[in-house]
Amino acid sequence: MPAEQMGKLTDRMRLIFAVSSVVFLAVLAISPFKDFRREWKQYKRSYVRFAQGRADTKRLLADYRPNIDQIWLPGMNVVDRCTTCHQGITQASLGGKGVPQPFRAHPAIPHNVRNWGCTVCHRGQGPATEVAEAHESTLAWEQPALPTHFIQASCGTCHQDNLPQTPQLTRGRKLLETLNCQGCHRLPGIERPAMLGPDLTNVGTKVSREWIYKWLKEPRTILDKDGNVTVNGYETEDEPRMPKFRLTETELRALSAYLSLQRAAPVATYKIDPRVVATWSKNPDLISQGELRFRQMFCSTCHSLAVVRAGETKLIGGDIGPELTKVGSKVKTDWLIAWLRDPQGYLSHTRMPRYGWSDEDLYKVTQYITTKLTDSDLLTTVPNLGQPTDEETQLGRRLFLEKGCASCHVVEGLNPQKDFGPDLSALGGKNASELEFGAAKIPHNLVSYIQAKLQDPATVNPAARMPQYNWNQADLDAITTALLSLKGAPATSALQNLVVPRKEVSFHPAGQFAEVYERYKCYACHKFNGYGGDLAPDLTYEGSRAQRQWLVDFLKNPQTLRPTLILRMPQFNMSDKDAAALADYMTMVLQHPEVNPAQGDAKQFTLAMVTLGKQLYEVKYQCQSCHTIGGSGGYVGPNLSNAGGWLTPAWIEAWLSNPQALVPDTIQPRRNFTYDEIKALTAYLMTLRESIKPQKSASGARSQAGVTGAGR
Amino acid sequence: MRLRICFSALLWMTLAGISGCRKHPETSKSDHLLAAYDAEADWTDAQRVIPLNYEQAQGKRIFYQQCVWCHADATPAGPSNRSNLTPVPTVLNDGATLNTENDEFLRDIITLGGSAVGKSAMMPPYGRMLSAEEIRSVIAFTRAIAQPPYQPPARAGSQ
Repeated sequence: MPAEQMGKLTDRMRLIFAVSSVVFLAVLAISPFKDFRREWKQYKRSYVRFAQGRADTKRLLADYRPNIDQIWLPGMNVVDRCTTCHQGITQASLGGKGVPQPFRAHPAIPHNVRNWGCTVCHRGQGPATEVAEAHESTLAWEQPALPTHFIQASCGTCHQDNLPQTPQLTRGRKLLETLNCQGCHRLPGIERPAMLGPDLTNVGTKVSREWIYKWLKEPRTILDKDGNVTVNGYETEDEPRMPKFRLTETELRALSAYLSLQRAAPVATYKIDPRVVATWSKNPDLISQGELRFRQMFCSTCHSLAVVRAGETKLIGGDIGPELTKVGSKVKTDWLIAWLRDPQGYLSHTRMPRYGWSDEDLYKVTQYITTKLTDSDLLTTVPNLGQPTDEETQLGRRLFLEKGCASCHVVEGLNPQKDFGPDLSALGGKNASELEFGAAKIPHNLVSYIQAKLQDPATVNPAARMPQYNWNQADLDAITTALLSLKGAPATSALQNLVVPRKEVSFHPAGQFAEVYERYKCYACHKFNGYGGDLAPDLTYEGSRAQRQWLVDFLKNPQTLRPTLILRMPQFNMSDKDAAALADYMTMVLQHPEVNPAQGDAKQFTLAMVTLGKQLYEVKYQCQSCHTIGGSGGYVGPNLSNAGGWLTPAWIEAWLSNPQALVPDTIQPRRNFTYDEIKALTAYLMTLRESIKPQKSASGARSQAGVTGAGR
Repeated sequence: MRLRICFSALLWMTLAGISGCRKHPETSKSDHLLAAYDAEADWTDAQRVIPLNYEQAQGKRIFYQQCVWCHADATPAGPSNRSNLTPVPTVLNDGATLNTENDEFLRDIITLGGSAVGKSAMMPPYGRMLSAEEIRSVIAFTRAIAQPPYQPPARAGSQ
């Protein structure tokens, strides 16, 4: 190669080297530039600028470091770098909507972020340092951050006992239980009761084949076009327990045929005294008298009825028992009489109490139910089904098992399949790739999946055996929250130690009390030592609170203490013996350890104390804003007109000094009374007396007659 | 020719390197209620749903336990005790009345009762029953549902 050519080439090479060096430098510079521009570093810098713009800069930047901030909790599997960007999370002054994210403070909760990390509750990818990777579902990490609306699910993962701060979770858990989800699914923490739906062993003696057909085709609780849940066409807040199964005409005929033949052990029919029938059947007041008794016995405490109020038809009444507006067109009269006399004879686990009926009351009430609570149109859409054929019955029996009916209902001689539906004990921790979305056009994440499946199981799986439920949005969100909380067994032993198990509550009374308690099903509404319903007052300490004679009188003739209540204690037509047994047990056993009713002595109260007490009640503390005495006062607390005949002085004193110590969730405010004020108020309240014996009205006299007529 | 290939190769490398920097996934349109801890329908317009944060939601829970009986026209038990009282208690979402009171006044009347701040003694004190934090959350809930909406006073130091 000639020399000058070499020189030329060298020049060219020089140029190439020069340019490529520049480019090479530029490429090299990309790396530090990219590093400088990292998302988390930008957030670090903007936090400094943000803090400098505020008055409390010094405090906000006190532990600022320009590095990645990390919470490492080896025992809990936590490596959370969230605080790298969420830098103001522990700064109290950064609360509220005015502060831009990611700098806003975390609301004050019982857990400290330094000891718990973030992803334990919020999910997401803890070690990630980019916004998308940390919060969203990516190919490498399928646990996106949980939407705040469902965050209570995370409380429930450890707290298996219900917390007051998480009403949505508590509601969801209650729905899982009352809707009998555990009939088909495994749900940890929710025990499978011996029986979930009604026992159908004898259903043929109760209802007709046509009614069964109608019920299976259109369970009476449906979701209408406007998204309202209706029972028998009336709006309700309740969720239906019997869901809708997608059944064909043949299946409907077969199941109704099979069930209408279930009469294994018919209940003996009871014949009402012909003299009672003869006296009353011609009486034009029969039906209205029946309705009056129905009301007086407070059937509506557990059962609702459609009532027209101010031009609007509304369901009024409780939801412990079924809605009864059209029950007269459903059940057979013989069955109804036998049922009312002895509900447990037909259904051993029912919560319906056994009332002491007189023949007269029984006749009047059954006549009222079978004439007034009816709907002649109820079965008009049902085709003529005729007599069940063998073929239909055989198919019905098979369908009863295949459709999962046997998971909730008992029919004698049938053995249900165990674990009919999928195990849900780890559903809340599932990755989206583990779920079947089918053809459903929904976002592929766990929350959308659960909600779609609950709303219409066929959208995600056309062959789903799961029936159709109806939800309002709040309940759908609540049950989603409860399902998201089920994440299976905790991954580490440190997490296992954090689990707060459910408190086991039980109440096992003995002796004569137990028999009466079981007969009247006191626990359906009242709580005893944490066990029982929450419709009526907790009776755990009733023996310390109420005087024995008052208990006897109240049980014989319950009158409400709280005027605003629609749901009241039913009139059981209790015998003297039963009332005495209940009152004796309560005064002897249901005692608060700190309150001894024997201590209080009415003689210690002087007239001066009573006068002072009355003045404190009326002027200084104005108790009348919530309590009624005589005809005036508020409706929030119990009526005190008969406080002296009802409460024990020891209870009043203990109650006034600290109500929450006796009943933790009472809304009576704890006040700053002095010892003398408490004594004076007690003295005054003990002077208040009013008879709660039945009024001398016509209805009262009749109810008395009913009691004596019941004579057990 | 080779030079051009060299240049373009370098250029592509540079571009490829830079393009990796700015790759943001589309932010999904998130429902504002999904980001809320709880929600309350506006008392004057049931169609409008007000999202609540954690503190406001705790306030809502306490309100429906303790306060609703006198400070609303409908209660979970049905009728309200409000019409029964003189002076008539303020409905909690009454912004025209409550927005003019500062947080400290509301805190005092809840904690110490009406008689301590020169109002009716019918308002009992809750200071021994609710914690300071719970009372703060009730005030936060009051502010959240106020109609007309509550405007917090400009805070010293925030600007």
